[in-house]
Amino acid sequence: MSTHATAGKYLTFFLGAEEYGMEILAVHEIIGVLPITRVPRTPPFVRGVINLRGRVISILDLRLKFDLPAVDPGPTSCIIVVAAHAAHVGLLVDRVSEVADIAAADIEPPPSLGAGVHTDYLVGIAKSASRVRLLLDITRVIDASDLAGSAGSPTAA
Amino acid sequence: MPKASRPSARSLLVRFDKLSVAIGQLGASDLETRGALRADVMSLIERVPAQEARACVSLRLVAETLRTDRDRGDRQAALHRAASVLLGAVRGYLASPAAPDRLQLLEGPERSTIAIMRNLPESSPALKPRTSDLIGQPDRPPRSVVARADTLPPLSLPNDTDRALLGDFCDEAREYIESAEAALLVLERAPEDGESVQTVMRAFHSIKGTAGFLKLDGLVALAHHGESLLGERRRREGFAGRIAALSLRALDALSGAIKNLDASRDGARLAYPAGFLEVLRELEEIDAAPAGPAPVSAASRSAAPAVTARDAGTAHSARVRLDRLDALVDLVGELVVAHWMIAQDPASGRDHPELSRKVAHAGKLVRDLHDMSMGMRMVPLRGTCNKLVRLARDLAQRAGKDVDCRVEGEMTELDRNMVELVADPLMHMVRNAIDHGIETPDERTAAGKPAAGRLTLSATQVNGQVVIDLRDDGRGLQRDRILQRAEARGIVRPGDQLSDADVLDLIFAPGLSTADQVTDVSGRGVGMDVVRRNIQALHGRVDVQSAPGEGTTITLRVPLTLAITDGMLVRVGAERYIVPTTNVVVSFRPERGALFTVAGRGEMVRLRKDVLPLVRLHRLLGADGACEDPVSALLMVVGAAERRCALLVDSILGQQQVVAKPVTAGIGEVPGIAGAAILGDGRVGLILDVPQLFELARRAQPFLGTQAVA
Repeated sequence: MSTHATAGKYLTFFLGAEEYGMEILAVHEIIGVLPITRVPRTPPFVRGVINLRGRVISILDLRLKFDLPAVDPGPTSCIIVVAAHAAHVGLLVDRVSEVADIAAADIEPPPSLGAGVHTDYLVGIAKSASRVRLLLDITRVIDASDLAGSAGSPTAA
Repeated sequence: MPKASRPSARSLLVRFDKLSVAIGQLGASDLETRGALRADVMSLIERVPAQEARACVSLRLVAETLRTDRDRGDRQAALHRAASVLLGAVRGYLASPAAPDRLQLLEGPERSTIAIMRNLPESSPALKPRTSDLIGQPDRPPRSVVARADTLPPLSLPNDTDRALLGDFCDEAREYIESAEAALLVLERAPEDGESVQTVMRAFHSIKGTAGFLKLDGLVALAHHGESLLGERRRREGFAGRIAALSLRALDALSGAIKNLDASRDGARLAYPAGFLEVLRELEEIDAAPAGPAPVSAASRSAAPAVTARDAGTAHSARVRLDRLDALVDLVGELVVAHWMIAQDPASGRDHPELSRKVAHAGKLVRDLHDMSMGMRMVPLRGTCNKLVRLARDLAQRAGKDVDCRVEGEMTELDRNMVELVADPLMHMVRNAIDHGIETPDERTAAGKPAAGRLTLSATQVNGQVVIDLRDDGRGLQRDRILQRAEARGIVRPGDQLSDADVLDLIFAPGLSTADQVTDVSGRGVGMDVVRRNIQALHGRVDVQSAPGEGTTITLRVPLTLAITDGMLVRVGAERYIVPTTNVVVSFRPERGALFTVAGRGEMVRLRKDVLPLVRLHRLLGADGACEDPVSALLMVVGAAERRCALLVDSILGQQQVVAKPVTAGIGEVPGIAGAAILGDGRVGLILDVPQLFELARRAQPFLGTQAVA
């Protein structure tokens, strides 16, 4: 993955009022919210694990991951299952929006927002007439969640 | 995957259009086109994203077949079909990589590729063609071509080495070496056993073939000389003395080189193992010694049937990739749960006896399927047994002892992961038996025993466990020496009343070694305590029995598989956890009077004579809504190694077998949690790691550390 977003197809989704996008190639499937088993001694953004057709996959709450206020899953909540390295990880989001074709001309580099705002996972901002989409490097989001490396993770601190 | 010099999707598409046309017209001996096609397929492999690993495998099969296949009509035609089906699919994939059905797109053709490759008239019946089939058996290299030890460059791989092929080669070579080692052991007893000779020669021959293809000249040379050692030289001199010893060392050298090659795939520096060149030099010497009137035709004959014989041997088994096997086992596990849900549904209950009968019948089939799928991961202990016999023989020789080593029940099966994990403890036990147990021939004769000691390794399956006994008829464990040593090390106090069994059990205590002197094979402080710890980590146990002057028996008991954990399902507030049954000692509801605290905070509970630390599981794991009062809840006494404690749980929901799965993906290791399992209702339950819980509890409550129960 490069440090800047490239043109292509993105899956976009909402966390509150903000619309995010991730490269469609990383997406394995989108499922409804299944019963989640809490895993003790993990940071709050780790919601737990679910049974995805016999496979145990962990669920990260992207709201909590990005320090947004916690919200209980509602009727539109979804789990986006992404393939990260050899495993699958589920990302809990408020609502999946669409698969958007984003042209290179519409992508701007991520702004530096100064201290306190996490832009580590942000690789670009896609602007179109009506909306702004924040493009994520989803591998980095997941890597930073790995507890083994949590010492370096800003949200775990 | 290298990022540089990756062709653009567009240019690739153009090339693939040409490619599919070319493949249709490919002549059997059109080497140039073949090379170009192969290059295209290789660049395609680079384009295919890593998650489509299966497509890569199929493509590699095509590429490798393109590389060397020669003038085999049927095979050629099959290749055309496979390649065009597959390339067509991948072309489609590249045109629209985001297509939702991309996996199916690749899966279909991938299956047909495998099917086509599988039905090739000349290939082995295995699911996956052997690398040696793919690349063909190169002709026996003329002697002058074989590299010489003195001029051999350091072990290295060409830059364009196909890493995956290398991996296959290593796997295959290991199998060959293993079977060759077993065959050599047979030859020691029956030097004329033709089948064993063939097995060893086949191993050398096949390794030579593939090593030559990978340009591993040193391995080619060694295997080449090894083959002729077993062939011409053995025919003239018989299988004995120097030839027998050198054959074993040649296999060892190859095995070491394969290990290094395998490690180099993970970035380790590549080099010949110690002794490799010496063995090669000796082999050269022996090979260069004046050849008698050995008939040349016999030598060339021996190479040809080698291949067919090996194919015949594999006709009853198929090589299946492990991840597929695991996926199958997972799916079947899921099926068991799905069926359970149907069986529990009120709609299929009492009101519909006919339906419920059918559901019950399906249930039986599902259970059988489950047993069978678990069975597919089972492998016999034979390979491990052979290694141990080999080890025992070598050690005995070095120690100047005469040992007759026997194996019983070598076909007893164990989960393949388990087999690897019991090998180390067993090796240690064999070392101990040879080094300390069995006496020298003089001592034995003086004691009125036969000069040759006997070491028996036996394996049986009992009640879902595998029991492995290692029995020697040596001097036995000496109670007084152990006790003396244990007192000297402060493990027991002088004057402690210990039963014989207690004393014998002390050999598993850390820091106790009964060897008077440290030899190069044992007594280096890594002792039976490590064996016990390793076996306990596998949810198994080790016991010892011994009679002075008559010998020692050490018994390992391990579950058939690590994949299935026998567990107690407990409720803690809103959460459910699985405690492995091997860790559970007893459960009870305490009387108020049995509870007390130490220093105002360390909670303890008295159970008969024992005093155990009380661990509030809900606090340790942060579970809400749990019962706070032990008197109205339940205490589950759990143990690991010598430690015991009482876990406070709300209730026990039942006992069940679960399929353990890792929980780490995306969140790393979680302390206190050994894994996850799908419970009967389809939800995930977490399996507790009792030894880690002890650690967590000790940190939370420093008091626990001192409460080890010996």
